[in-house]
Amino acid sequence: MKTLREKLTRYLSPGALIILFLAVVSVLTTLLLPRKQAEGIPFWVSAQAHYQAYKPFVAEWNARHPDRKINLIQLHATALERRMLSGFLAGTPVADLIEPNSTTAAKGFAGPLSSVGYYDLTDHIKAEGLLERINPPSFALFTTRHRIFGLPHDVHPVLLAYRSDLVEAAGIDVSTIETWDDYFRVMSPLMRDRDGDGRPDRYLLEAWDSNAIAISILLLQADGKLLDAQDRPALNDPRNAHILARLVTWFSGPKRVCIDINQDSAIGHRQRLDGQVIGCLLPDWRAGQWKRENPGLAGKLKLMPLPAWEKGGRRTSGFGGTMLGINRHTQHFDTCWEFAKELYFSPRLAEQLFRDTNIITPVKALWSSPIFDRPDPYFNGQASGRLYIDQAPHVPLRSSSPYYANAVANIANAVSELKAHADRTRTFDEAALTRVAQAILDRAQYAMEREVSRNLFLLQEP
Amino acid sequence: MLTDPLFWTAAFNTAQYTLGSLLIQLPVALILALLLNRPGLRGRGLLRLTFFAPSLVGLPFVAMLFAPIFEKRTGLINAGLHHFFPLWDPEFAWMHQYVMSALIIAALWMYAGFNMVYFLAALQNVSKDLLEAAAIDGAGPWQRFRHVTLPDIAPVASFITLLSTIGSFQMFELSFILLNNGPGPENRGLTVMMYLYQTGFITGDLGYASAIGWVLAVTLMSIALLQRWLGRRHEER
Repeated sequence: MKTLREKLTRYLSPGALIILFLAVVSVLTTLLLPRKQAEGIPFWVSAQAHYQAYKPFVAEWNARHPDRKINLIQLHATALERRMLSGFLAGTPVADLIEPNSTTAAKGFAGPLSSVGYYDLTDHIKAEGLLERINPPSFALFTTRHRIFGLPHDVHPVLLAYRSDLVEAAGIDVSTIETWDDYFRVMSPLMRDRDGDGRPDRYLLEAWDSNAIAISILLLQADGKLLDAQDRPALNDPRNAHILARLVTWFSGPKRVCIDINQDSAIGHRQRLDGQVIGCLLPDWRAGQWKRENPGLAGKLKLMPLPAWEKGGRRTSGFGGTMLGINRHTQHFDTCWEFAKELYFSPRLAEQLFRDTNIITPVKALWSSPIFDRPDPYFNGQASGRLYIDQAPHVPLRSSSPYYANAVANIANAVSELKAHADRTRTFDEAALTRVAQAILDRAQYAMEREVSRNLFLLQEP
Repeated sequence: MLTDPLFWTAAFNTAQYTLGSLLIQLPVALILALLLNRPGLRGRGLLRLTFFAPSLVGLPFVAMLFAPIFEKRTGLINAGLHHFFPLWDPEFAWMHQYVMSALIIAALWMYAGFNMVYFLAALQNVSKDLLEAAAIDGAGPWQRFRHVTLPDIAPVASFITLLSTIGSFQMFELSFILLNNGPGPENRGLTVMMYLYQTGFITGDLGYASAIGWVLAVTLMSIALLQRWLGRRHEER
């Protein structure tokens, strides 16, 4: 025994031996652990609310189809993305049914069309008339080079949530608001310095140059462009320069009306509750999130369509999205397709999803459900579902490009640079800022073109 | 890569953070170690643990802790400064124009105590005989430090500098979490590691990310070799 110890310690220190021993024991334990053989066709989801809503549905399906069971598996969004992309790129196991969000889904569209990991559903969707049954803008996020690779789960229109308690206490009538200029003018009495420190304690809109989400929402609403119809960068579109200049006058200078509030943190919720901001850009899913995370706002908010940039302009925007995709190598396409349609077209599930998350279905036939007309106590008795549905057809089209997130980041950086210029030079004239914005956007466009040019597939395929 | 402006932004930010960290963190660590090394100091163990404790929690935790501290209006720093100095702008954007200062402050809190332990160990090995002899010869505290202590702890200081340089070049989690999973406005918090991550795992350009990784590895290796060469030259003198 002593000889063995001597032999071992001759080559390895006691510390290294312990590490080696633990490694061997861990490997053996992992190998010997009984493996639970999952039964059924794997279906990966990441959103907790979706997983909870699908569980009873899947159980019911499995009871009806014992020979074609579905195995619902919840993964963290990052794990889903990594495992999905590893499968697509390197052939590691991927579920037959995958429910990624739009950012993750787009990463699967980076290669040549023939190598996209999702099943091309275009012909099935067209043949079965699903294009007409689903809200058209919802398909855009999952369509690349004219082919559709996913069934849309949602629409995610954006409305303006405002502090109705403060607005009504000030005797302000919101019915006359049609444009952002109207909104800021009508609400301006609320932007007051209450503690006498020379600064307003309350602002009119939650948006800031560091808030890329708010910028992308407002840019899309104003018909700005991030990528063109062929998914090529379009950051230096003259319309964008005009929008950016106007946004900067909201963020800084004598006409400042916006405030930077932390999106999803306790601090942000506290600031909203304290009335530091009057209006917020609120997609349907975020309304559900607020109900769970900031119940104190219940009864203090109302919803209205976004004020337009110009009279007669668009009153909504879009943010986020989820699809149901099918692995192109699946051996069970028919079952997956039947299940996907049953899941996403289920009236019961659409109602439950709205009840639990405030997310409206993209299936137009289901919009007549009375659940969407129910008074919502969180929004002062308004029928929040109906308000979101009314705007659903007008949600702007978004790109499915894997570079979309980069384009949003680039445009937000351009806003920051423009704001820094405005603060430094004390220039808050929109026309002057538009010229500077154009120069900044030209540089951003060059950088983005460089980045996209490394992907030959997206550029070469029509 | 050499003509990619974003890469150079990342490299510049990383160099700025590395320099800032080295020039502030190491002197602070050395000062703390010198204070704790004073003979007859009571509660040395407790103080050592107090200063060292932040390094036990990990960078993600430090980032989560400092994010609310650097907040506008409600953050501890801005709210506190505005309370005591009403002229201080409570909307001072630490995480905007001053991202690197914020990162250096957060890293200082975490690593100063960690580096202090190395310095303390080195200080305890400084020859007492030499110090006494220098004192007898009439050397003052600064002269004793400059001519006896510093040469004795030089190898450890060189080692800590190398570790800190490598750690600073690899900085990712702190800025990533503090800046809400991104490089911050105008890419002011973009580091080389974050650019590597973004290129490889957000954009999906694994080839380019791999090239960035190689450049980082070669740079670190060159710095390590340069430091070793400088150390040897110093010893030969």
